Amino acid sequence: MKILLACCSGMSTSLLVEKMKEAAAKKGIDCEIWAVSQDKAEEEMEKADIVLLGPQMRFLKYKLEEKAKEIGIPVDVIEPIAYGRCDGEAVLNKAMELIKK
Amino acid sequence: MNKFMSMMERYLLPAANKLNNNLYLAVLRDSFMLAFPLVIFGSIFVVIANLPYLDVILGDKAVETLRLVLDAAPNATMAIMTLFVVFGIGYNLSKHYKVEAIYGSVVAISSFLLLTPFNIKLDESGQVIGGVIPIDRLGAKGMFVGIIAGFLSTEIYRRIVQKKWTIRMPAGVPDAVSKSFSSLIPAVLTLSVFLAIRAVFLFTPWDNVHDFIYTNLQKPLLALGKGLPATLIAIFFVQLFWFFGLHGQIIVNSVFDPIWGALALENFEAFTAGAEKLPHIVNKYFIDTFTVGMGGSGMTLPVIVAIFFVAKSRQLKDLAKLAAPAGIFNVNEPIIFGLPIVLNPLILIPWIVAPLVVTAFTYFTMAIGLVPPPTGVAVPWTVPVFFNGILATNSLTGGILQIVNFVIVMIIWLPFLIIIDRQYYEKEKEQGGLK
Repeated sequence: MKILLACCSGMSTSLLVEKMKEAAAKKGIDCEIWAVSQDKAEEEMEKADIVLLGPQMRFLKYKLEEKAKEIGIPVDVIEPIAYGRCDGEAVLNKAMELIKK
Repeated sequence: MNKFMSMMERYLLPAANKLNNNLYLAVLRDSFMLAFPLVIFGSIFVVIANLPYLDVILGDKAVETLRLVLDAAPNATMAIMTLFVVFGIGYNLSKHYKVEAIYGSVVAISSFLLLTPFNIKLDESGQVIGGVIPIDRLGAKGMFVGIIAGFLSTEIYRRIVQKKWTIRMPAGVPDAVSKSFSSLIPAVLTLSVFLAIRAVFLFTPWDNVHDFIYTNLQKPLLALGKGLPATLIAIFFVQLFWFFGLHGQIIVNSVFDPIWGALALENFEAFTAGAEKLPHIVNKYFIDTFTVGMGGSGMTLPVIVAIFFVAKSRQLKDLAKLAAPAGIFNVNEPIIFGLPIVLNPLILIPWIVAPLVVTAFTYFTMAIGLVPPPTGVAVPWTVPVFFNGILATNSLTGGILQIVNFVIVMIIWLPFLIIIDRQYYEKEKEQGGLK
């Protein structure tokens, strides 16, 4: 499972990446999680199974949705509270749920 | 209140969407970012050449030689910043239209140079020296001409390519050869347009496009953008967007970056030329260092420290611990979404008032000469507070000013933090009692 996170410069989402990796390791799930800045998001999407956006960049969703449909992956905005608390497990669960759909 | 919030959200989200996804603004932002590593390189050596007491340690003569050598670093990077921006516009815009990006960018550079005078008039004697490209035209002075030329040339170029007015080679001809032929007609036509523009301007009182755009567009825009009112309005909108959970900095920057960037570049040119007084107080590094550079947009590092001082509730204490390491490097999403600042009516007042007060105060101390304005040396926005203030202003007073600002922000926030903390604390006690 490959999860791409994107925000302005890929800094604040990278905090979350670490927490999600921890949560995944605990559950014994094999996955690749990485964060990029918004201008790289469109390129990196091709390698991912899902794209999650920092809530502060939720206006990017419109821009990325088109390409996401093309390659057939979901785009979603991370829930603000989970984002603020760096709740890796909650975000990981949501991502897995969306990929299964 | 809820009604008001949802109404604001209805207007702000589309506005953010438009500003951020506008093709030209997005291309411009990415093009400014292109020069970033080069600008940092130049800045490092400007900082080294201007270290305090260097002449005492090394002696005057050695310093002079050192500066002579190090001068090349900023000259090859920041001084010709506009070239990189033009290249970036040509490249990114062509890439968007899916035409050969590398040709789009060289055509953009040539188009820009076609508008540039190839001579310098010496001030004292009035003598004109030909066969040179004046370096200031490739820097701050030519910034707006560069932006316009970059967009205009790439738009013309890609239209001709997309109309397929190109020479197509038979199959079997090597790819590089056929590509260079396919861009032949579009390049020639685009550059002809710019040569014609150059020729027309020779017959106007401005003599060249550079002087025309500089006096009629760049100068008035910069004058407007560097004023305190415009700066406060920009900061207000950064805060307002963030209050609704949108990245205010990036949204507002997409409009202000060319202006703040050009102002920083003009300061930088004055600084490296040894000017005693720098021309502009407000510029890119004024914003980056004295507003964003105190823990992120909205100056939240003082807020974290204040929480450590007064908080009794578990929730705030935990949050401050989680947010502090990132906050030191000016990343503050944990605070913004965790406190939360987003859509929290109690926070709205300090959230908007504190940065405005600090911005006005910083402006004032620089206007009366207590602290020098930022020199235009590039300081990455992740450099921690105090250090970024010293680096940006090339003066210890820049760091001291930040400490004063730090205290101002804490004082403005304290009463509000205490109220929130009490609310959380009561709630936690209740829940604890129920268990």
